[in-house]
Amino acid sequence: MSISSRRRFLTHSGLGLGSLAMHYLASRAEAAGPLAAKKPLLPASAKNVIFLFMHGGPSHLETFDPKPALNELHGKLVPASFGHVQLQFSRFNESPVLGSKRTFQKYGQSGTVVSDLFPNVAKHVDKLAVIRSMYHDGFTHTAALNWLNNGWPRLGRPSLGSWITYGLGSESDSLPAFVVMLEGGIKCGPVAYGNGFLPAVYQGTSLRTGGSPILNLKRAEGVSEQQQREWLDTLRWYNEKHKETRADDSSLDARISAYELAFKMQMAAPELADLSKESAATRALYGLDDARTRSFGTRCLMARRLVERGVRFVQVWSGSTTGDQDWDGHKQCDENHVRMAGKTDKGVAGLLEDLASRGLLDSTLVVWGGEFGRTPTSDGGMNGGGDSLGRDHNPYGFTIWMAGGGVKGGKVIGRTDEIGLRAIEDPVHVHDLHASLLMLMGIDHTKLTYPFQGRDFRLTDVHGKTDLVAKLRA
Amino acid sequence: MLLSHALLFCHAAALFAADPVEVSARKILEAKCVSCHGAAKMAGLDLRSADALAKGGGRGPAVVVGKPDASLLLKAVRKEGELKMPPGKDALSAADVETLRQWIAEGAKWTGVSSAAAVPNWWSFRRVARPAIAAPVKPNPVDHFVWERLRKEGLTASKPASRAALIRRATIDLHGLPPSPEEIQAFANDNAPEAYEKLVDRLLASPRYGERWGRHWLDVVRYADTGGFETDVYFANAWRYRDYVIRSFNEDKPYNVFVQEQIAGDEIWPDNLDLNGSYEIPKSKLANLEKRIATGLYTLGALPVEDTFFGDQYRAEWQAEAVETTAAAFLGLTFNCARCHDHKFDPITQKDFYRLSAVFAGSEDREVPIVSRMGIYEFTRHQTRWVIAEQLKAKLMRLEAAARARKEPLTPAERDERESLLRQIGDAYIKAPVQVAKANLLMHTEPVPDTYVLARGDFQQKLEKVRPGFPASLGPAPEIAEPDHNLFIPQRRKALAEWLTSPEHPLTARVMVNRIWQGHFGRGIAGTPNDLGRQGEAPSHPELLDWLAAEFVASNWSVKAMHKRIMMSETYRFASDGVEANLAKDPDNRYFWRMNRRRLEAEAIRDSILAVSGVLNTKMFGAPVVAPLAADERDGMRDPLQWPITTDPAEYDRRSVYHFVKRSFRSPMMETFDAPDSTASCPRREASTVAPQSLAMMNGEFFHQQAEQFAARLRKDAGAPEAQVERAFWLALGRAPSSEERGKALAYLQRNSLHKLCLLLFNLSEFLYVD
Repeated sequence: MSISSRRRFLTHSGLGLGSLAMHYLASRAEAAGPLAAKKPLLPASAKNVIFLFMHGGPSHLETFDPKPALNELHGKLVPASFGHVQLQFSRFNESPVLGSKRTFQKYGQSGTVVSDLFPNVAKHVDKLAVIRSMYHDGFTHTAALNWLNNGWPRLGRPSLGSWITYGLGSESDSLPAFVVMLEGGIKCGPVAYGNGFLPAVYQGTSLRTGGSPILNLKRAEGVSEQQQREWLDTLRWYNEKHKETRADDSSLDARISAYELAFKMQMAAPELADLSKESAATRALYGLDDARTRSFGTRCLMARRLVERGVRFVQVWSGSTTGDQDWDGHKQCDENHVRMAGKTDKGVAGLLEDLASRGLLDSTLVVWGGEFGRTPTSDGGMNGGGDSLGRDHNPYGFTIWMAGGGVKGGKVIGRTDEIGLRAIEDPVHVHDLHASLLMLMGIDHTKLTYPFQGRDFRLTDVHGKTDLVAKLRA
Repeated sequence: MLLSHALLFCHAAALFAADPVEVSARKILEAKCVSCHGAAKMAGLDLRSADALAKGGGRGPAVVVGKPDASLLLKAVRKEGELKMPPGKDALSAADVETLRQWIAEGAKWTGVSSAAAVPNWWSFRRVARPAIAAPVKPNPVDHFVWERLRKEGLTASKPASRAALIRRATIDLHGLPPSPEEIQAFANDNAPEAYEKLVDRLLASPRYGERWGRHWLDVVRYADTGGFETDVYFANAWRYRDYVIRSFNEDKPYNVFVQEQIAGDEIWPDNLDLNGSYEIPKSKLANLEKRIATGLYTLGALPVEDTFFGDQYRAEWQAEAVETTAAAFLGLTFNCARCHDHKFDPITQKDFYRLSAVFAGSEDREVPIVSRMGIYEFTRHQTRWVIAEQLKAKLMRLEAAARARKEPLTPAERDERESLLRQIGDAYIKAPVQVAKANLLMHTEPVPDTYVLARGDFQQKLEKVRPGFPASLGPAPEIAEPDHNLFIPQRRKALAEWLTSPEHPLTARVMVNRIWQGHFGRGIAGTPNDLGRQGEAPSHPELLDWLAAEFVASNWSVKAMHKRIMMSETYRFASDGVEANLAKDPDNRYFWRMNRRRLEAEAIRDSILAVSGVLNTKMFGAPVVAPLAADERDGMRDPLQWPITTDPAEYDRRSVYHFVKRSFRSPMMETFDAPDSTASCPRREASTVAPQSLAMMNGEFFHQQAEQFAARLRKDAGAPEAQVERAFWLALGRAPSSEERGKALAYLQRNSLHKLCLLLFNLSEFLYVD
């Protein structure tokens, strides 16, 4: 296929790709359709991503970044030498420091420190590269969620998963390439997995656990599979007839095949969601046998099944906007985290173990983190009441970790200051995280562009450093 | 191009210059450089005089006399070093580079004065010149320009479309709905020569037209009923702007007035709307109220509403959003880049951005009652009835609680009292006033805040102070005269509106006729309607675009006249069929040798289905309709209370343009079929083809409900299966089935319900696409 005929095919296939959109794709000899699997141009160590998103912002100070100074300063104002930062709800220089109740311990051969909130994940520290020096400037949930997911604090940009799908295509013909599993509502809405200005084929499909995993997947009441097949065959007969006199229009072919994919998805998706074939041991590994851990564990198990079936990018959410059930510990942060970690520790650990034992961890990059960390100072005061002893949002220094996909575990990268306020050593901006993530997948973040509003846009805007990759792989 | 350069050369250089090398060199500078490095002084560089040339720009002198290789100018045009000019794909020919080299080597002579009157070199920044038609190839000028081009490109025009195809195309184009079988038959049987013209006139006169084309405009101005972001606040009055748009299209409001009203309705037609103490705004003033509602355009953008986002920061974001929307919608240019730095490709400087931003300083979004003072008084006077109703309710509850406590029924006296209370409560509620009508409008603030260039767009990093004004590169613009203090009522938006709608403005008319063309052909004459700058696509038919733009202004900016002019052309009436010989030469149909086949937009699919199934509710205007969602569709919404379902189910079947547009949660059906996300101006809809669309149409609740309605309609209209199939094809596709198609349908009906056949018809490519 020459470039011009390929362009013509794509333009006319109605897949939302105007000729401009060929910018990136046209350079890829193997591009046969917007979702065709494409070989990365750089050496890739990761083929798939599972992003475990802790909605609300988990405290690094209670999890992976212990700060003994906090307990020493507990109840006092932050020393003036730390300067000032803007927070959403509390005033930094008027709020007393809040000590942590957690105990920390070294685990594994690497001796990476993990708090007692994650006894199960702790068993896998030798698989983890813990980055303690993440930062950005969005101190509200929306700005921060947009930062982490879309690389930009405001609305309108495509999400990380959309960019990756745009760059690498899909390896499944019966499931979407980019799948999201939510616990409930999220604070920035579906833009977290939206396609922004990229064609709609790259948007994340929200998969539900329990019930119908994809919207409109269930045949209408009283319609059997056989009846639907007859209906589709009849429809196809008419549509082929319609096409006879319109042979040059490939968008009509694309329409006809979309019905076939839809039909396959109806079967593939329920098969995907059917966990009854998983052994009791596997189910227990993910915590499906415990009411407290079942919901998140199920999403983790589904994530593994999706990756097994060729889905490129999977995002698993912990925490929903309804009923204060997220990591947003403004009140009684410690209690909140005991609850949230209790729901997720088993599932995360189970996923790491399961992926490793099936040989999938080598090619699957697992990322754990939220939209920001939390402040060393208290939110809501120190009187011990229900609204007190919280922590505010802290985007200036926080922790995420990665495992698998070519990342060598058992290491800690970067450092925050003595109270965990700011990243001070090897700081990793969100742009750097995104650039590195793309590089692990074999994509040069400066080359993955899409023309919009008069310029070529990138996930990383005009920023992004990839020196992190060498540290992760070393 | 050649001709205009020759003219330019006469005006500027040739009058003064004698040396042929100087003449050629200055001609090259004027043609290739001065649109950016002239009045616009991009990067501080002005190439219009010897002095300015020697002074150079931010990088130092442009020319070192006698030393071409050391001259920055030559390095830039050779595109060898870091600096590559002109930007983008444009480049100087080797001959031109050599001319410049020779000119600099020979002393860079510059005879006479500067050539300040240089004509911009970018097509869309030049004034519209109505092209002369010396020897018309076709009587209709639209056809003349298209045919000329087809001949030049060696392309063959497609055959004319059939009557059936034509009425379906015209009706969907202008109404977003399919024609009824009766309309199709009437048109087919009308043999009068003016039958088609009558059809176009009828369609343009229908209120359905404004609903369709108003929606196109709402895309351009990023319309929504909520603010987006975490809070996603409800804009309770946004619909008044939406209705204003629909009414404006239906009234065929001249486009220049439409632009003026939206930007400066309050400044051009000042009126406090509340003069004589009456209960209602006098009729004579309602027109002015409408013009003020038009400024609602600037009150419904996507901006966060958060505790930490206010004051200077909010103002900076609001003004930037206003500039970006204005530039995209009216100028067809992307200004976004210039917020942080000079535009890399177009002659738009960062200062230009903030000068335009200053136009919006001194104005702000305010929610105001749109009843007279007496009307507000009437409301507040009766507001106490809410309190009375609450008190009466409390009394009733005490009465009932007392009886329950006694564990005895109410005494006859208590029963009477209860009855009386219920009546009084009902009475109080009925007489209690409803919310007073309000609108969000632009109002003025005093003092008028100063505007600064902001480093990288950051509101905390103020650079130089700027006065309101317009990009120099777009030609002469009015000076905005203002006092040198901050206490005055600004007339800045008025100046902007008048500048934009001046008949000489190079962009306003071109941008709009290009949008109208796109609405009819699925693609503009210039393919990027929000970017007629250097990064956009060059027009396929520059002369046609200019002719239409000139015609548009000459016919008093009438949008309906423009539709008719386009639709009466043979070009519009081409069939969508392929012509084998053309497919290789122009597969994208850039030269309009056929009509483009288009997939219906989300709204058109939904509205057409409602029309075919016979339940479309054509009620116009008013607060947005919130239709219920299927249970699995509600997932991902932050809070179900943010989707307050309309109580009257008859409302659900209204046209999509009247439905709730929520920024943080698009209706799943609209989203699946590529409705815009309304965060920024959407110049052109995508037309994706993805499996979730098929899933929705195979299994979705809405489609099944409508299939059932359609089946019920068929059962009512026709008895026997043969007649039902016949009627179904006519309603959905506007034609009778072929005998083969009829046979297939009847065979299918023997084993399946009419409902399923109806659903199938909605899923046909023939239904979803228009030829």
